[in-house]
Amino acid sequence: MKRQVFEPALYTIRGDELSLSGAALLGLMREVLSKGVPFRFRAKGWSMLPFIRDGDVISISPLTHASPSVGDVVAFVRPGSGTLVVHRVVARRGSTCLIQSDNSPGSGDGLIPRGSILGRVTRVERGGQQIRLGLGPERFLIACLSRVGLLLPVWRRAAPIFRRIFRRSS
Amino acid sequence: MTEISVDAIYVPSEDVVAREIEGELIIVPLVAGIGDLEDELYTLNETGKAIWDRLDGVTSLRALAAALAEEYEASPGEIEQDVCGLVEELLRRRMLVEASGV
Repeated sequence: MKRQVFEPALYTIRGDELSLSGAALLGLMREVLSKGVPFRFRAKGWSMLPFIRDGDVISISPLTHASPSVGDVVAFVRPGSGTLVVHRVVARRGSTCLIQSDNSPGSGDGLIPRGSILGRVTRVERGGQQIRLGLGPERFLIACLSRVGLLLPVWRRAAPIFRRIFRRSS
Repeated sequence: MTEISVDAIYVPSEDVVAREIEGELIIVPLVAGIGDLEDELYTLNETGKAIWDRLDGVTSLRALAAALAEEYEASPGEIEQDVCGLVEELLRRRMLVEASGV
């Protein structure tokens, strides 16, 4: 039986109004990264506090031939659950990376194979401003502190100093 | 305005990523070399998607319209006209390229 209506139409939608499931977001990200271009989207969750907050806009760039370095914040697929996660590399062991969140000391993601890592975070934006802290050369120190469970205690002491510096420079 | 020939063959551009999500086709333009989910995205309605799915780089618009005329309650002429209208819009937004130009 023939369907009645034939009225093809193209609609515009605002990306930030689109609510995607983790699987749908992962699928889109994979396709965009496979074309060798970065993927920009809004992060959800608090696991990467204090450097990435819920609602920050992050850009994931594809990994070319180089493996991620210690300190890099990477997007990866969690083995078993298949969920998309954005956390930090705190050590490398052979072809795997030890990954954990910045905000939950002691509960790491474990060793993640290189093949499960989709890309690295190369840009964080908050309120239209680029946030550099956490992605620069200091990321190696952050990873070392995170690995031994000292990131949050050190951050609590250092945060007032950073706030003063950033208030002066803004 | 682009002149659309019904004998032309089109294919989705390399500058977009199109993916079906929960029954809806989402088209992400790779603007300035970035797949930007914060920017404008596009979606097609059911009949728009039926056209998009057939833009395979092999089928001419005439053949595409004839195939759709088997499925929809509209004359081949009307379908051809609507197909050309959508293709024109997709070309204007650089979401399609002519297959011979690939």
